[in-house]
Amino acid sequence: MNELEQAGLARLRDGWVSGGAAFELAPAEWKDVAAAASPDEQERRLLAIAAQALDVALRPAAPKTLKRRPPLPVLALPMLPERLRPLLRAALKYATDARLKTRVATLVASRGFVLHPMDWMPAASYQESPEVYAPWIDWQAGAEGEKQSRREHLTAETWDDFYPAARRAALVDLRRTMPALARTLIETKGASESAEVRLALIEPLRFGLGAADVPFLKSLSADRSGKVREMAGRLLARLGEHGNPADGGSEDPTAELAAFIEEGKAGFIRRRTTYAPVKLKSPAQQARRADLFASCYFGDLVARFGKTEADFIGAWQFGVDDNADLFLVRMVSVSGGDAAVACLADLLVAAGGKLALLVLQLMLRLDSGRKRVLIRQILNDAQNLAALNLVEGAEAGWLEWGDLAKGKALSALRSAFSGDKDVMKRSAEQHLETMGFLANPLTAEKLIGEVVAAGLPPASPSLGLLRLNAALAGNPP
Amino acid sequence: MQLDLKTIEALAPDQASLGAAAKLTKRSNWPRLETNEQLGLIWGECQGSGSNPYRVMFDTGDHGYKCTCPSRKFPCKHILALMWIGATAPASFALVDQTPDWVNDWLGRRRKPGQPPAQAPARAEGKSIDEASRPEQNAPVEDAAAAERRETAQRRRAEDTRSAVSAALDELDQWIADQLRLGLAGFVDACSERCRRIAARLVDLKATALAGRIDELPARLMALRSEERPDAAIRELGKLVLLAKAWRAAPDDAELKRLVSTSETRDQILASPDAVQVESDWEVLGEKIETRRDSLVSHATWLLDLKSSAPRFAVLLDFFPASAGRRSGAFAPGDRFRARLVFYPSRNPLRALIAERLGDAAPGAWPAFPEGTAGDPLAAYTAFQDGAPWLSDCPIILPAGAIALDEKEGAWWQAAGDPHGIALPVAGSVSQTLLGLDLAATAALWNGARLELLASQSSIGRLDLS
Repeated sequence: MNELEQAGLARLRDGWVSGGAAFELAPAEWKDVAAAASPDEQERRLLAIAAQALDVALRPAAPKTLKRRPPLPVLALPMLPERLRPLLRAALKYATDARLKTRVATLVASRGFVLHPMDWMPAASYQESPEVYAPWIDWQAGAEGEKQSRREHLTAETWDDFYPAARRAALVDLRRTMPALARTLIETKGASESAEVRLALIEPLRFGLGAADVPFLKSLSADRSGKVREMAGRLLARLGEHGNPADGGSEDPTAELAAFIEEGKAGFIRRRTTYAPVKLKSPAQQARRADLFASCYFGDLVARFGKTEADFIGAWQFGVDDNADLFLVRMVSVSGGDAAVACLADLLVAAGGKLALLVLQLMLRLDSGRKRVLIRQILNDAQNLAALNLVEGAEAGWLEWGDLAKGKALSALRSAFSGDKDVMKRSAEQHLETMGFLANPLTAEKLIGEVVAAGLPPASPSLGLLRLNAALAGNPP
Repeated sequence: MQLDLKTIEALAPDQASLGAAAKLTKRSNWPRLETNEQLGLIWGECQGSGSNPYRVMFDTGDHGYKCTCPSRKFPCKHILALMWIGATAPASFALVDQTPDWVNDWLGRRRKPGQPPAQAPARAEGKSIDEASRPEQNAPVEDAAAAERRETAQRRRAEDTRSAVSAALDELDQWIADQLRLGLAGFVDACSERCRRIAARLVDLKATALAGRIDELPARLMALRSEERPDAAIRELGKLVLLAKAWRAAPDDAELKRLVSTSETRDQILASPDAVQVESDWEVLGEKIETRRDSLVSHATWLLDLKSSAPRFAVLLDFFPASAGRRSGAFAPGDRFRARLVFYPSRNPLRALIAERLGDAAPGAWPAFPEGTAGDPLAAYTAFQDGAPWLSDCPIILPAGAIALDEKEGAWWQAAGDPHGIALPVAGSVSQTLLGLDLAATAALWNGARLELLASQSSIGRLDLS
């Protein structure tokens, strides 16, 4: 279409938009085609020509400012084989929320694969995604340009080559292998960052926390951010460094908390000290006690009673006041030393029943071995299988058939599926999803056979993750 | 497989359903019959009256079922026929280890998995498998006079229809002239009401297909930005003028009749000597499902010929009432199959029927199609318009490119290595993930104003975009 025609088309368009006859506005050649007809027919003929001109002779004008995203980073693991994607999609469809979907991704990552980005993408805000997805999290968060490579080591020189999620993953790795080097990096690079970033940088110090970290953490007690000071204080408390010097005055919160705990004696032959919560008289007291447990450090509290952390835990009277038990366990989780956490976890798991479930509060502090012990305990009891779903940070794909078969869990599942109570069946189906995450491939395969034999329809979608798990066995990356 | 005829008899809603199911038990009606014994499932594809085969699945464990047909009978004749084959000829089912996506999809959405089989009524009163199995009595033979009377009546009806359609097109012409006289600014603002009125008039005058198209015109305009609507109105109305003129010039032309009044039946297409037949490997590019203003849902399944040297497409088009509820697709995007398709006679053959399914086709990338004229990704569209300027949606294969965003977050497809060259606006919003992928080739529908993405080939494999 030449310029004259384009100008004519623009005039015609304007004429038609406002209404009325536009024949005289048309290009001369177009008029020739449309002439020798009634006025209405002339307009229609011109309309037909104009429509074709708009359709094939003009192209959409592309804006000059089209903006592309940087390429989606290639991850360190290969993508799940195409033939397993139907099973994966079935498992993702059954997983109802972001946490459960992430668990599917974690299982797949544990077998050496990543998901197709059109099937699942980690949310930029969700930190529980497997570390292999860190480049995608950064990409989603809007990181621009070619940066970061997990193949590089994190050093002061390469610091700026990493985006936040990838850098955090690299820092955690470094804390596990060379904690001093990681601390030096945090010390050097954190000073110039904003409070929010400083907080995120200090958090990985909990990995491989040791006495060598004390001077740096103490230096943070003068940090201008309250949150950073609080985090540093908790980490110090875990190392046995008392955060709040006890002055015993009326303003001393640790003393106030200690007043909510009474010392007693137990045993006839060997008298031993016990600690139990004081019976409270009002909701206001309950609220105050909750605040104090949340804000005081465990080390300060036990020091008030002149005990070691482990001794105090051993002397605590669990079962007197459920709320006080919960607050104490949370307190240990936040500010107790590693030994205290391990001691408490062992004590609670050994107690079994509902006390064992309090260990769920310690999840962030427990090593994978103790998490496994807890999971085995829950399976063994089969009193509260739903608690399996609350085990944060559990490893994927390790549960052996013996772990299931030896306890009561398997028979509980069998009886749920062979019975006629819908509520029991639905609940058991949820446990299957969790076991689909925990089980090794052989266990997954066997469990499918057992529950189907018990009456669960073999096509039940609740078997999705177990089937994916079993199918992943024969697919080495 | 634990199925018996008594169960089928008991589950059937009525004797008519059993009779209809009996006719569908021929193996030739079922291009695909499969079972997974471990899961206790049987499923199959049954070629019904629509373009797409119906997907039928049945759980032998709890007697749950699903069929993609629009029947209001539950279970429908397709389910009954599948069970019937399962009970009488279980060897017809191929044993497979994995269930297809569409079966997984159904399993994932079932409300109460784990329920025991539905209790069949104690007696299947008024229903009998034996009766349904008996061959029907032959229809009485028509005598010559009756046949002549029938043909005369048919001719008369055809004449009446032609006269009515001609009158409809006269009214349409006048209506278009009125819109131009009143101004397209006003038309765009009131197009919903105005189009509804003329569409109703066209239905009265038997130009049903044209009425449906005009009814959809407001939705097409409203999908665009306000500044684009006048140009779109010119394009849409101009195409209607062209279509009306073409019909007047050749009222017996099959394609034009289909676009203006009514479409041929499946049997007519299969018997038509003008219908092109293509046997090839096909990939399902994607689906386009739209609920129309006339309360019909149009379900278009776009296919790509994997053996053609130049891009060749087909569309399987089905309509069903919106009141029938959501239907799962007959095919999943990415499915590949070998089949003989019969195309509706047309200047640009696109609409097709599956005449025969010949099994599955191997997965893989698309063939490397040669690029369009002088690198113009819309060259195919131009050729398409040369043949049938009254049509809008044209399937195209775009060369290597990527998706970029403009300042208003609108998505554009942009050719690779040509950042300042041609770019085409994309309809709707796109997945954020897509913005970070290089697209080796993209299949899309271009309607003159927007691209509707169907599928792409990328470094991480095939992407479903429909």
